[in-house]
Amino acid sequence: MVRRDSSQTPRTTSRRPFLALAGAAVAGTTGIAGCLGDENGNGSGNGGSDDGGNGGGNGGSDDGGNGNGDAGGTTVADAEPLASPVDPSGVSWDDLGDLEGDITVYSGRTRDQIDLVFEELENEYDGLEIHRNYDDNDVQVNQLVQEGDATPADVFYSQDPGALGAVHDEGLVQELPEDVVDTVPESYREPGGHWTGVSGRVRSIMYNEDRLDETPFDSWDELPTDIFAYAEDDRFKGIISTRPNSGTFRGFIQAMVDLEGEEATRQWVRDFMDQDPQLFSGGSSQAAAVEQGGDDDPIIGLGNSYYAARLVNEDPDSPIRVTFTEDDPGSLFSVAGVAATNSVEDPELVAEFVRHLVAVEGQEFMMDANGEFPVVEGVDYVGPLPSPDELNSPTFDLSEFDMELQEASELLEDEGMMPL
Amino acid sequence: MKSTTNDAETTHRSDSIGGRLKRIDPWMVGLGALSAIVAFLVVTPMFWVVWQASTVEFSRAYNLVVSSQTALITANSIVLMLSVTLFSILLGVPLAVLTTRTDLPYPRFWTVVAALPLVIPSYIGAIAFVSMFGSGGEVDSLLGFTLPRVHGLRGSVFIITLYTYPYVFLTTRAALISMDSSLVDAARTLNAGPLEAFRRVTFPQIRPGIAAGALLAGLYAISDFGTPAFMQASVFTSTIYWEFSGFAPEYAALLALQLVAIVAVVLVIEAGIGRDEDASGDTDGSGSTIRLGNWKWPAMSFVSLLGFLTLVVPVTIFTSWLFRSEGDRIPSLEFQWEFVYHSVRLALLAAVVACAFALPVAYYSGRTNSLVSRVLERATYVGFAVPGVVIGLALVFLGTRTFPSLYRRGVWLLVFAYVIRFLPQAVGTVRSSVLQVDSRTIEAARTLNVGRLETFRRVTLPQIMPGVIAGGILVFLTTMKELPVTLMVGPVGMDTLVIIIWDAQDALAYRYAAIPALFLVLISGLSMLVLLRQEGSDLS
Repeated sequence: MVRRDSSQTPRTTSRRPFLALAGAAVAGTTGIAGCLGDENGNGSGNGGSDDGGNGGGNGGSDDGGNGNGDAGGTTVADAEPLASPVDPSGVSWDDLGDLEGDITVYSGRTRDQIDLVFEELENEYDGLEIHRNYDDNDVQVNQLVQEGDATPADVFYSQDPGALGAVHDEGLVQELPEDVVDTVPESYREPGGHWTGVSGRVRSIMYNEDRLDETPFDSWDELPTDIFAYAEDDRFKGIISTRPNSGTFRGFIQAMVDLEGEEATRQWVRDFMDQDPQLFSGGSSQAAAVEQGGDDDPIIGLGNSYYAARLVNEDPDSPIRVTFTEDDPGSLFSVAGVAATNSVEDPELVAEFVRHLVAVEGQEFMMDANGEFPVVEGVDYVGPLPSPDELNSPTFDLSEFDMELQEASELLEDEGMMPL
Repeated sequence: MKSTTNDAETTHRSDSIGGRLKRIDPWMVGLGALSAIVAFLVVTPMFWVVWQASTVEFSRAYNLVVSSQTALITANSIVLMLSVTLFSILLGVPLAVLTTRTDLPYPRFWTVVAALPLVIPSYIGAIAFVSMFGSGGEVDSLLGFTLPRVHGLRGSVFIITLYTYPYVFLTTRAALISMDSSLVDAARTLNAGPLEAFRRVTFPQIRPGIAAGALLAGLYAISDFGTPAFMQASVFTSTIYWEFSGFAPEYAALLALQLVAIVAVVLVIEAGIGRDEDASGDTDGSGSTIRLGNWKWPAMSFVSLLGFLTLVVPVTIFTSWLFRSEGDRIPSLEFQWEFVYHSVRLALLAAVVACAFALPVAYYSGRTNSLVSRVLERATYVGFAVPGVVIGLALVFLGTRTFPSLYRRGVWLLVFAYVIRFLPQAVGTVRSSVLQVDSRTIEAARTLNVGRLETFRRVTLPQIMPGVIAGGILVFLTTMKELPVTLMVGPVGMDTLVIIIWDAQDALAYRYAAIPALFLVLISGLSMLVLLRQEGSDLS
């Protein structure tokens, strides 16, 4: 409810224009990656890694009650580790059991984000075959609900905690093994262990670097650090954009209601709509428009940072950059994660598969391929973005917003933001 | 009912023949039953839609249906539908005349070029045009001048027309081939000018064909989501997808029913326009060729320009990324031949099954004129007018409840889904060919004591073959580009060309869309040539 004055611009030392992942893979762009990540080679050091404010209460919190139900191996939660269990300090794939058999994954994430991990796992284990069904996240949720227990999917992989929560609410997913649950901080998963985050990312302000001179902002560091300024400050009129039909945008609205109250959130939406924003139906097309930079294209966009990262990855000369607001829903830290359906065919295999995702190599692949953040404490972030500690994102339990998802939808409808 | 008076007599005759055949002939009753089964099968998803919609509580339903925004977006959708229909006719009919009635060189090649845009998903076209046109677009940055921006409702009309006019082109073409051109010659010998002959003789005969294609183009426009969404145009499907993306399929279902209600009105109106035009069919196709002379150059240039805009531009835009991009490898997007195999196999299966399903419905409704036959025929259009994801979700439900052990194993459910979505394309074209068959030839065969099936095979089928082939081509091309249902009920992990194209652009890795897009165009073009050859051999 208290709003910070948008005109003041508190600078923190960590703030700089981020070239997203740029060529994290390309050797050249070390400048950004280097200064952040070289403290300890990721993965190796366990323990260390002081929790940044964002981490949320990790630690114990295991309710243990993973209902050791009926006879052996019928549920994923009961599946004993085939070798070492995973833990928050970071466990290597070498210490985990072999994966053998067939897994079917329904994915709301796109291929570029997770296919590398799947391929790496298949390379690692000859007997493993991962059947992937890539589709829109919302389609996957609706489909899983209609399929019920007849679903061929063993695992649902989604970029949206709201989607994972939705399938959990429908009673379609089962608890994950205790060691997996304990590996991931509680704010990044469902408290009962029905889904867990695998990687984190943050909402960002993307902008076209080459076009800032068309705006009243002389340089990127004049862009406000307060999400409310993006709705209220009429310097953004006609040049700002977002994509309101996504799960993460709804999560952003839910977070804002939690932090600032519903009325302030409604006001934010109304103010934002007064900016004549361009509203996109896809995150990709939004980022592409910011990049294209024609007279009619938006210069600024609210969205997930990885879209900009992809564009820079495709074209190192791309003018798209990202920056972040501070300690408000504009820099909401969110996770992509997995859930095991009720129809898992081989619970041991699925349990071990999820262990691989939260083990060191799984976490590192998410960093390398997507510029995402690890969710396991013992794995340090290495990449071109500021680390989660520096980001100053607000802390949330992603599975427990005050506002229901459907209510967030209705709020956007009431205020005339959606449907487009 | 009847809009042109000079045909009243013939219609009356065909009515009475239809009536008589039905009365005396158990074959017709059987055909009616078969049509009813087909119609029932293809509307089964609607039972799910109605059931879902009925779970919405009344106050919420009321708010959804009559919200303040609904009127505006419904108006937008209707404008979109009407504009696309009109422009598709303006493009499609002249092209059909050009490729069938003139001495244009290489008519088959130009036929393929003019039909192929149908195989490109319109949102892919939209992406290409947006990145080419407008300030900051490819043309702007390469050539230094700015083409007008393609955007909003107008942009949607432009793009959707460019990629749906082939509906009109192909159905009109089939009608032109089936019709008896000696009538035109007769008209010309009676001193009617070419335009006059077209208006008074040709047009009435090909009107059902034009109407069939125009209906398909219009229904495509009103049920499309991807293109208007990409163009930031507010249309009715936006609301359906919004509810869908909020995990509220019951709301989406309710709104889909509202869309079906709008479409039902269109179907009833079109039923008046596309009605019987009884015409005899010698299908000799010769004699009335319009000589183009030097006009053939602008004619060929025009078709080339269309092909360039709709086919070459998207493929080129994607290909340019092949050379420009330095992105990381995305292994599962890398080209594999099995993408081509899956696409072609599915499209062929869908085309064959759809034609088999379409024949009884189209023949029954073309030969009899009862309310029942018209209702059965119109019922097959419903699936075409409902957005793909809603049909997909209905089939997910039906598939898991009927044959759970076969669900997403094999392609049966997917092919059935294609038939539901695309059957009207075959029904429309086959039916307009059936209408052109002269009942007298059938009666003549019957008087010679030839059996009903034998008559159909030897007399009717050859005459309606152009319609069947056109319907098969339509189903083939649209199946090649189908995306939402393929992703939902196909076997897990079975990638098609269009899935790869879509995923590549979704991942902003356009370079991976280049080769699949090229193959989509090439393979579809070759397949069309084969199908067109079929048409030729059956005619001769």
